[in-house]
Amino acid sequence: MATKWPENRRVIGTNVPRLDGPEKSTGKAKYSYDINRPGMVYGVIVRCPHAHAKIKSIDTSAAEKMPGFRALHLIAREGTELYYAGEDVLAVAADTEEHALDVARAVKVEYEVLPFQVKESDALENDRKTLAPLGPRRERDNLRPPQTQESDEFADGMKNAEVTVTGTYGMPVISHQCLEAHGLVAEWGADGGLTVWASTQAVVGTADALARHFNTVHKMDMAGKVKCITHYMGGGFGSKFGPDVQGIACAELALKAKAPVKLMLDRASEITTAGNRPSAYGKVTIGGKKDGTITAFEADTWGTPGTGAARTVGPLPYVYLFQHKVKHTVIRLNLGNQRAMRAPGHPQSCFFTDCALDDFAAKIGMDPMQVRLRNIPPDDVNAKNTDPLSYPAMRGTLYKKQIEIAAQLSGWANKWHPPGKGGDGPIKHGIGMALHTWGGFAAGPNDVTVTISSDGTVLVQTSTQDLGTAQRTVNAIVVAEILGLEPKDITVQIGENPFGRSGGSGGSTTCPSQAPASLLAAVKARDEMFAVIAKKLNAKVEDLSITKGKVVDKASGNEYEWKKACALLGTSRPRGVGTWSGAEAAKQANAGLSKGGVGGVQVAEVLVDTETGVVRCKQIVAVQDCGLIINKLACESQVAGGVIMGLNYALFEELIADRATGRIVNPDMEFYKLGGINDMPKIIVHMIDMPERGVIGIGEPPTISTHAAIGNAIFNALGVRVPETPFTPDRVLAALAKGAK
Amino acid sequence: MDNFVYYRPKTAEAAVGLLDAKWGTAELLAGGTDLVSLQKQYIARPKKVISLSQVQGLDQIEQSRGWPMTFKIGAGVKLATLAASSALRGSAAALAQAAEEIAGPQIRNMATLGGSLCQRNRCWYFRDEQSPCLLKGGDKCFALDGENRYHAIFTQGRKCVIASPSTVATPLMVLGAIAQVLSPKGKREIPLAEFFKAPTGPEDREHVLAPDEMLLSVSFSIASDKVKSASYEVRQKLSSDWPLVQASVAFELDGGTAKNVRIALGHVAPVPMLSAEAAKAIEGKPINEETAAAAGEAATSGAKPLSQNGYKVRLLAVAVKRALLTAAGAKKYWEV
Ligand SMILES: Cc1cc2nc3c(=O)[nH]c(=O)nc-3n(C[C@H](O)[C@H](O)[C@H](O)COP(=O)(O)OP(=O)(O)OC[C@H]3O[C@@H](n4cnc5c(N)ncnc54)[C@H](O)[C@@H]3O)c2cc1C
Ligand code: SF4
Repeated sequence: MATKWPENRRVIGTNVPRLDGPEKSTGKAKYSYDINRPGMVYGVIVRCPHAHAKIKSIDTSAAEKMPGFRALHLIAREGTELYYAGEDVLAVAADTEEHALDVARAVKVEYEVLPFQVKESDALENDRKTLAPLGPRRERDNLRPPQTQESDEFADGMKNAEVTVTGTYGMPVISHQCLEAHGLVAEWGADGGLTVWASTQAVVGTADALARHFNTVHKMDMAGKVKCITHYMGGGFGSKFGPDVQGIACAELALKAKAPVKLMLDRASEITTAGNRPSAYGKVTIGGKKDGTITAFEADTWGTPGTGAARTVGPLPYVYLFQHKVKHTVIRLNLGNQRAMRAPGHPQSCFFTDCALDDFAAKIGMDPMQVRLRNIPPDDVNAKNTDPLSYPAMRGTLYKKQIEIAAQLSGWANKWHPPGKGGDGPIKHGIGMALHTWGGFAAGPNDVTVTISSDGTVLVQTSTQDLGTAQRTVNAIVVAEILGLEPKDITVQIGENPFGRSGGSGGSTTCPSQAPASLLAAVKARDEMFAVIAKKLNAKVEDLSITKGKVVDKASGNEYEWKKACALLGTSRPRGVGTWSGAEAAKQANAGLSKGGVGGVQVAEVLVDTETGVVRCKQIVAVQDCGLIINKLACESQVAGGVIMGLNYALFEELIADRATGRIVNPDMEFYKLGGINDMPKIIVHMIDMPERGVIGIGEPPTISTHAAIGNAIFNALGVRVPETPFTPDRVLAALAKGAK
Repeated sequence: MDNFVYYRPKTAEAAVGLLDAKWGTAELLAGGTDLVSLQKQYIARPKKVISLSQVQGLDQIEQSRGWPMTFKIGAGVKLATLAASSALRGSAAALAQAAEEIAGPQIRNMATLGGSLCQRNRCWYFRDEQSPCLLKGGDKCFALDGENRYHAIFTQGRKCVIASPSTVATPLMVLGAIAQVLSPKGKREIPLAEFFKAPTGPEDREHVLAPDEMLLSVSFSIASDKVKSASYEVRQKLSSDWPLVQASVAFELDGGTAKNVRIALGHVAPVPMLSAEAAKAIEGKPINEETAAAAGEAATSGAKPLSQNGYKVRLLAVAVKRALLTAAGAKKYWEV
């Protein structure tokens, strides 16, 4: 019989403080940055200062004579064309960090400076074709051919509209701003093996990619010889998959310097080169009936992924099923390439849809919550039969319930007022909401190993990483549940690729992959333990079970304390390996262990100072489901963290590129603004536990709708739309001035 | 950063003796919150760094008893100390309020009054080694038609359009403060209103001190308990952030009307500036929302914003209005 989650859960779903909290808060936890190896030297990357240039020459002769110089690794060569300010040219290593910086400055690179574009509006006006040749025709166009999608009955939908509303909306390029910068320590062993302590969200992927690099470029045989260690890491948000340019450079430097090398990006490099979230701008028209029924949705959107060519907007009209026509134009610019960022495309899609929806509600004079209730996608009848636990089968019911809870927790009925009626004084109150969805399915394969020892200790090993989500605690909770123990009784080792397979932590896949694997491993280890001790207890295996702290023999009624039961193991060490993946999750027999597809509703409340344009967010209510909740405390904390990130998108974050120099003017934490504790609202999190669905990932969804909810709250306060994030004083005052005309 | 020789003189005389006759080769180090980051960014590249940490007596606040009440604040006094001083809170609220809002606790615990008044500007082109603007010996100001949302709005006749960085400058100006400075030639005094200068090239600083001069202290005198003062800054974030604009006001509240009004504007021009127009608008009048707003409007006269910072003109009017109302003890209508 397939393994199921226990019916009665003692530990799963309770509030379990993260096991490594004390290590993290006392500084005992060692991040990549904290790793220091004997004889270690320091790496620094020399970067192109120009937004577009071709390397004429590289002269390292002076650099190589500098004090402390140890190694040099070319990333680009003479003739290489570089496409953004900050692009990597070469890396150097020296005996101290200070010497390494001096060596880097002594490298002489001559550039032929080429034309560039760093603003979307400039490229739209006049495409200067400043990016790399692309596609079969090798064209350099910055503007990519637009892609358009249209649903069958869009034209009818527009025709049937009694009211149409058009608005423009947008959000700039922002940075991941990982608190721990990208980087690593790399060390070659006497056996020809490579160990890296990398700040990564893909431990196994990083090790594999490094092995591939040295196999291909140096014709080495690195199979099984690269070890990646990531016991702790300080944020990734989608920007830390694989070794990256600096990872390869650091390992190359270590090989050449014959010494361990530490290479961590400085803040400016972190911001300009280590990933950004693409911008998205657009014009949206919503058509509908005066009763609030929306009949058509049209969006013309554009945005920049930097040097890349990927779309910058996710599905539209997002969670809704409106008849639609959607156009998207990718604008390549001379900015660092985009990387996945916490629910790629979704915050953009949510903003375009949910803000336009509120503008429509205002035009017909309806409460936008009622408009949403009228338009949320209904449960899919087919899915109800074929896959009743799927998101389509339950989305209508789910959103309705979530909206009701959010309404109640936020006091919507009393607090909502028509737009622009936010009070008589200059400080206006507003409330707004938005909806989101995400997957959070298992991916994989993920291996978890559980070993029980005769002294009663339980060891869990898996290669996965913890981006700050309390992953160790997830593994411990599941294993503790099965073995009748407490999470603190379990030793969890993660973040080392020799522990088995695991996927990168992207797409909210880690918990739904790891929790079932831990369950399977724990059940196998337990059963193996029963097989060994049954004989010694003169019991039948099928009569043995575990309750809190005890092994119970149903036949005799005897109970054995966990440690005493384990003592019977002698030299045997029961071991169970559990493996979970997307493929396992998709099997009919495995239904109920993990799933994907969630909904979420957020309600924001703001106070807007109409004299200064300063917005203060006072409260966010976040209602979220994620299937079977493993750790309620960590789930709530994850949602609060997502809300905080979304609030920063809404109010503060913007990467500002300069038209004249082609450089980012705010590659810091001073004018790249991020809210501090005083800027945080009261955050009320409500988790909906749906144990029958199995485990679903929660990393990304709670960050999606916050900025749209805040944007709508500002609209509710002012009665005018502030079209673009971040909602800074200048933008708020400009919208007010425009509205007054 | 470049290598340098580190000095820790025990007296102010010894410190100025180590300074050079031109800017750039020697720098005084106080809290280091500005200088060290400038060095790390290769904007400041001194060969000699002269720490003031061992110089005796720089960290004292002297205060007389009774009226007029005189304060003399050493250049080494920390911003956190200014913010927490109950004497200043009582009689020179504008200064304590301004200090309290600067950056975050970590910076305020290190940063000094002297460093705060002598700090370099915050223009992002200035702080980017790769952008060779006027102040770094280049031939152009990138901010003029570039990214200038935080720059000056009083730009008439300005080649460099930085916003004055020091938040403690404006309160000291309205309190009529005088700076005591020392050079190898001896001591001199400079009224704070004449202390700041708009830089136009690499040989300039944001103040008038000579390269071999150092600030010892700042003093001012409060005539009586009728003197009211306040500072108000408009800032986007509540946590560590720069003001978008700032205003400080001081006046004597006599029989309900304001006399001897002084109003200074910060972060809106290359230098912190006294606004005679704003002061005149409210001189002799009772302070209420209407008169304060009129003074705020007057403060903006002559503003000539850049391409992206017109909004700061509106903010300035509001800051002046709110500073006046705060000083007068009126209801803070903006706090709900
Ligand atoms: C995130 C952030 C936010 C900030 N926000 C604000 C703000 O809102 N308002 C504000 O005013 N400031 C702000 N600051 C700047 C801060 O106030 C200054 O860095 C600080 O006041 C400098 O003081 P210090 O003692 O550390 O000076 P240092 O860094 O030691 O020195 C600064 C400069 O002053 C010179 N100097 C120091 N002492 C003397 C002296 N006695 N005589 C002559 N020259 C001297 C030094 O040579 C150097 O050039 C902020 C800084 C940061 C990092
Ligand atoms: S404002 Fe001044 S410091 Fe800034 S770019 Fe212009 S000249 Fe340079």
